[in-house]
Amino acid sequence: MLDLLANGLVNIAQWKYLLPLFAGTFIGVIGGSLPGVTITMTVIVVLPFTYGLDPLAGLAAMTGVYVGGSTGGLITSCLLGIPGSPASIATTFDGFPMARNGEPGRAIWLGVWASVWGGLIGALFLVFLTGPLAAIALEFGPWEYFSLFVLAMAMVAGLTEASLLKGLISTAIGLLITVVGHDPIGSVPRFTFGSEFIGGGFPFLPVLIGIFAFAQIMTDLEKLNQPRGQAAEALVGVRLERFSHAKVNWEIFRQPFLLAWATIVGLIIGILPAIGGSASSVMAYDQAKKFSKTPERFGKGHPEGIIASEAANNANVSGSLMTIMAFGIPGDAVTAVMLGAMTIHGIQSGPLFISQNPDIAYGIYAAYILAHPCMLLICVVLMPLMLRVTSVRMAVLAPVVLVLCVVGAYALNNTMQSVYVLLLFGVVGYVLVKLGFPLAPLILGLILGDQIEINLVRAIMTDPSPWLFLTRPISGGLLAAAAASVALAIWQHVRHQNRVAEEAPDF
Amino acid sequence: MSIGRDGIAGLILLAVSLVLLVQSFQLPSLPIVPVGPGFYPSIVLSFMAAASALLVLQDLLKRRGLAAASASEAPRRNYRLVVITFGIVGAYVALLPLLGFRVATVLFVGALQTALGRPRKVRQWLALAAIALGTAAASYLIFERYLLVLLPRGAWTGF
Repeated sequence: MLDLLANGLVNIAQWKYLLPLFAGTFIGVIGGSLPGVTITMTVIVVLPFTYGLDPLAGLAAMTGVYVGGSTGGLITSCLLGIPGSPASIATTFDGFPMARNGEPGRAIWLGVWASVWGGLIGALFLVFLTGPLAAIALEFGPWEYFSLFVLAMAMVAGLTEASLLKGLISTAIGLLITVVGHDPIGSVPRFTFGSEFIGGGFPFLPVLIGIFAFAQIMTDLEKLNQPRGQAAEALVGVRLERFSHAKVNWEIFRQPFLLAWATIVGLIIGILPAIGGSASSVMAYDQAKKFSKTPERFGKGHPEGIIASEAANNANVSGSLMTIMAFGIPGDAVTAVMLGAMTIHGIQSGPLFISQNPDIAYGIYAAYILAHPCMLLICVVLMPLMLRVTSVRMAVLAPVVLVLCVVGAYALNNTMQSVYVLLLFGVVGYVLVKLGFPLAPLILGLILGDQIEINLVRAIMTDPSPWLFLTRPISGGLLAAAAASVALAIWQHVRHQNRVAEEAPDF
Repeated sequence: MSIGRDGIAGLILLAVSLVLLVQSFQLPSLPIVPVGPGFYPSIVLSFMAAASALLVLQDLLKRRGLAAASASEAPRRNYRLVVITFGIVGAYVALLPLLGFRVATVLFVGALQTALGRPRKVRQWLALAAIALGTAAASYLIFERYLLVLLPRGAWTGF
């Protein structure tokens, strides 16, 4: 295994891979640091560039975006008090107070170094645990896969802040989109209404780009002329104070348990399908506060808060990569785009991915590992530029991002149909957001829809008894966990409602 | 008891899922496969119909007072800009196959920048033009020339 990893590292160190990796990491750091531009959006923007590249070069670029984006968000979190990307949300809690206390350099570099160490510890798990996880996945039959997908959807729907019901409806809409077109077994057209436009179904990536990018950009445009919440106190263009990198690293390694625990929390959240970086950052922050000897200092510029959040969100990337490589299911929207890019290049992800494509699998590991020193180098050299980049105007950014979305959709199969689908789902995504429907469950439904149907039908074709879904131990356990997840979400919702009712008595 | 935004959304989704549910029952069954092409969609649609009906019910039972109070405190949103942006993107998508990528992109980037923040000085107009031309030129050179990814050709312009 170490030989393969060494080969992967040597392979990625070639210019044809190192350049896309470096460029991806750079774009990721910039995209992550721009408020309103998420890592998913950045990876969508990078997607069309990967069409013309060798598969590993494209995946290296996307891995770079993922790692860079997970770190870039902390710059805005510390200087503006607004997370540059959702993954750095908990960094804001202590990064911004520390920066306002006159230590923006310490805040930013604590975050950067914690990201590097969290990410590299995560890499150990990625390299050594993905294989065993894939071996477990090989034991899965269609029943287990079906139940795993149901669990993923139940968890995501249950995690939505707005309402469980809307989360579930959103999931169903995602599943419904995948049903349109020919059925996967007998190729019978479904819900096409005789139209050639939707005869082949909706292509996955244009739908994903449309829903995600348009909803995000349009929601940002609504607020274009509003003052930013804490802009009055923001520190745009600030010069960082003098500080020592050795001292910052000492602050991190003085508490190895904090670093290790935050990394493990981030990793586990990353492995769980479709939960994402923001949850790992917040959960690790919460854990750090619980275990801290000085919890009262959290929220006032405590280094532990920054370390926990940033180590966790980079470790989350390694967890997501483990899920996609071992099970073939995306850990979040970013890996969903990566999965789409793999499909375009004819690479089938799943439990056999590592054994069938060792060059690409170990290349991804190597790209993930090397993305961290790249990110560090970019931060060291380009920090003054990044301190200014947070003030790029939306009027400049939005048209460029939209052009790249259109190119990404068109270049998929060189037809305008994909662009029309992009626009159609752009409108659908925005309307759903305005109606309060969360998009994460919809995207997961969209990603998993085909696989759920195939595994369900395959299970029934093997044995028509529906009880097997419950009586096979792993499948039954996964379905029980899905039911528990929904029950927990309902319980939390009821508890929240009761609390609101107590706080606001009905006169 | 009055219906709100969630209720209307729930009713629309309920209607859509019921119409499609009826269609899914009418799909032909296949001789070899034990379940037909309508089996899985009917599960998804039944689930969606039930959840939508619950959403309508939940909305009808919700206390309106609290919602109205919180809505009045929400910041004002610039929906006009969103409509204009969708309009400009729609025009761009319509013009792409007619004008080709290069011309349509220059017009699109220029128009959207103007809509989002109208330049006032000559220097700002020049910056706008440079960004519009730069975006079209850079994306053409990178995609078509370097990455060999084809971009839309214009029926009117011929390139």
